[in-house]
Amino acid sequence: MANHTTVDYKAEKGGYYKVLFGLLALTALTFIQPSMFLTHYTFGMQMLIGTVKAWIILMYYMHLKGEVLIGWTVIFAVFLVVFFFAIVMIDVNNFQFADVSHITSPAQ
Amino acid sequence: MAHDSHDSHEYIPEIAVDRNGKEHVVQGWQGDTYGGKLGFWLFMLTEVMMFGSMFMVLSYYFTLHHQDFINASAGLDRVLGGINTVVLLISALTMGLGLLRMRSGDVKGAKLMIWATMLLALIFLGVKAVEWTNDYKEGIFLGLQALQSGNEHSLPFGEILYFGMYFTMTGLHGFHIIIGIGLMLWLLKRINSGKVTPEHNILHFNIALYWDLVHLIWVFVFPYFYMIGAGGAIHG
Repeated sequence: MANHTTVDYKAEKGGYYKVLFGLLALTALTFIQPSMFLTHYTFGMQMLIGTVKAWIILMYYMHLKGEVLIGWTVIFAVFLVVFFFAIVMIDVNNFQFADVSHITSPAQ
Repeated sequence: MAHDSHDSHEYIPEIAVDRNGKEHVVQGWQGDTYGGKLGFWLFMLTEVMMFGSMFMVLSYYFTLHHQDFINASAGLDRVLGGINTVVLLISALTMGLGLLRMRSGDVKGAKLMIWATMLLALIFLGVKAVEWTNDYKEGIFLGLQALQSGNEHSLPFGEILYFGMYFTMTGLHGFHIIIGIGLMLWLLKRINSGKVTPEHNILHFNIALYWDLVHLIWVFVFPYFYMIGAGGAIHG
């Protein structure tokens, strides 16, 4: 089975440019956020903007929109990463080994 | 699997005969577009898990050395980082348009877009090289005294961890860019030899996916390293 999907270049390229402008706008937001709004939540805001950008790239540039099986595979993989992330964050918030650790300052 | 010595890319189905003598066409991997796509996604998920683990380590260190990370981030060159962000963004567009041109039958236009993507990838690497050279001149680079604890030139411990992760992750990302350029050269070779065509474009599709993944990783690498200290460092 060949990939016989025929496309009309002129009709579809507009979608690619719309995504580009959306991503450029979000990139501009990335730059102005630390000095313009919610300045005490820079890290959270930056990750939020990054997540929105990632979602747009996945859906439109990587063609995940409408892909059920591959979409769920991606969700499962991301879930695994986030799950371990959460476990590690719980652990690090109860860090008890500063005296013998190689990841904390020797002075601690 | 049957092959034609003159035109090896042309898909010629294998025929299997069952016990009743009935013939069946065997689905060959060459034409299995969905299988090719799914397989490549599985590969990309291993990449996500690799970079995901690195982000996990980064977050671990960030939690332990919050202020050191913000101070170190404030010293990075956000202009060069921002230029690279935009360069990579435009390269994702050219790659996507190249695939679109290929699928619409415009092979020459597709090749032009691949060359444009490669040029942008080289610009990205050039900007990164300038950035790393500036870091080296300032005494901040892997192996230099500032990034080794226990001497008079040592940076605060959290900053040493930050820059260790910075060079590791941006270096690994840069390595993926180099691999991407190699893949694009290979793709051009396959297009020139007629093995990737508007009808059989799964290789082009997957290399475009790879390039989007490289872009996707940068979408998180950039704010994590360059922007968390954009509000300014607090010393002392």
